[in-house]
Amino acid sequence: MIAVADLIKDSYLPGNYYAPDVYVQGDFEAGLIENRQGHRLLALPEALLEAVYAGLEDEIGPAAGLVLFRCGHWWGKSFYRRFIEEMNEYYHKPVAEMEMVELLQCMKQCWKTHGWGTFDLDLSYFQSGFLVAQTQNSTFAKSAKQDDRPQCFAEAGILSAFFSQLTGRSLHCVQTQCESMGADSNYFILGLPERLMPAEAGVEEKEGHAAIMTRLCPQQVENAEDASEALF
Amino acid sequence: MYPELQTLLYAAEERYLQDGDIEAFRQLLQSFQERMQAYEALRDNEATIFQRVANQLLEAYPKEQPERLERALKHWIAATRFASMAMLLNNAEYLERHLLEWLTEQVSAHQMQSIESTLHQLLEPRLRKVLSREQWETFQPYVEQIQAALLTPAPVA
Repeated sequence: MIAVADLIKDSYLPGNYYAPDVYVQGDFEAGLIENRQGHRLLALPEALLEAVYAGLEDEIGPAAGLVLFRCGHWWGKSFYRRFIEEMNEYYHKPVAEMEMVELLQCMKQCWKTHGWGTFDLDLSYFQSGFLVAQTQNSTFAKSAKQDDRPQCFAEAGILSAFFSQLTGRSLHCVQTQCESMGADSNYFILGLPERLMPAEAGVEEKEGHAAIMTRLCPQQVENAEDASEALF
Repeated sequence: MYPELQTLLYAAEERYLQDGDIEAFRQLLQSFQERMQAYEALRDNEATIFQRVANQLLEAYPKEQPERLERALKHWIAATRFASMAMLLNNAEYLERHLLEWLTEQVSAHQMQSIESTLHQLLEPRLRKVLSREQWETFQPYVEQIQAALLTPAPVA
């Protein structure tokens, strides 16, 4: 027998922590926007982001991407810490006990509610040692100049720090497709730095995301193509 | 917040409400009372409704792991709670944002559509029993919203 009274005894069945109407709050008297835990949020004007890109480009040229990546990396460490604290508190369990699908849903909602666009994670290359993140409507891509190389350096830095802390491994992140180049979404590959070197070479040689994935895991891409042919 | 009430409040920023607005406001308040009664009926009968559903679910899936049945029950208990609040607020978006868009992929990942579908079929008659016909007509769209989100197979990537 299933005792429903036990299932509902603490009356706590949580939903989406990041539901935008309750997540974004404020102390309007003091001119503050805060999240539901009272941590300060900041509305960042696009013009400022564009100015950051342009200013760095003027001052340090090709090193601008590396600086933005490092900024994103530091930001990602704090972001991870806050995310984990808030998840633990709201869902009444440590993140280590959360299922991957639940954690991923929370991250997707978090990304969206903060106005960073949409986020998705493809775990199908996990066995080969890679995670593939996809974002859309990225403000970083929109604010960057149009170039023949991906431009979401800060986003790549955030993702590398976030997933390094989540997995306990030092992961690097390489962006392989960018909305600033006219693509419909951004792709990021996460993996150990030495294993991502072929991906960096692929970006240098202006290969597309699919071609780079073939470089990294040729067997898996071949199998996936066979499977999709079988399906259709 | 009530979307209609919000519209009236925005209208009142610029002028006094007109007679038509006042009448709309009056009807909203009346509707709010009715929704509150339906909400109370759902809240007060939660354990009874879902205990009957749980017993029938066990009969329908005698060999299934109890943890999976409990998980499905928790999904629908939570969904019914959020749907009740959405009904109270007359705001389907509340249900979508606060639960469904976060929960749907989790249900899909656990491949529990069959159990969830049976649970929905068992739940609906219990809900009809505790609600009057008018209250059920008010609540039904939210149950359909849950059904459409949780029981529709995810598209093949």
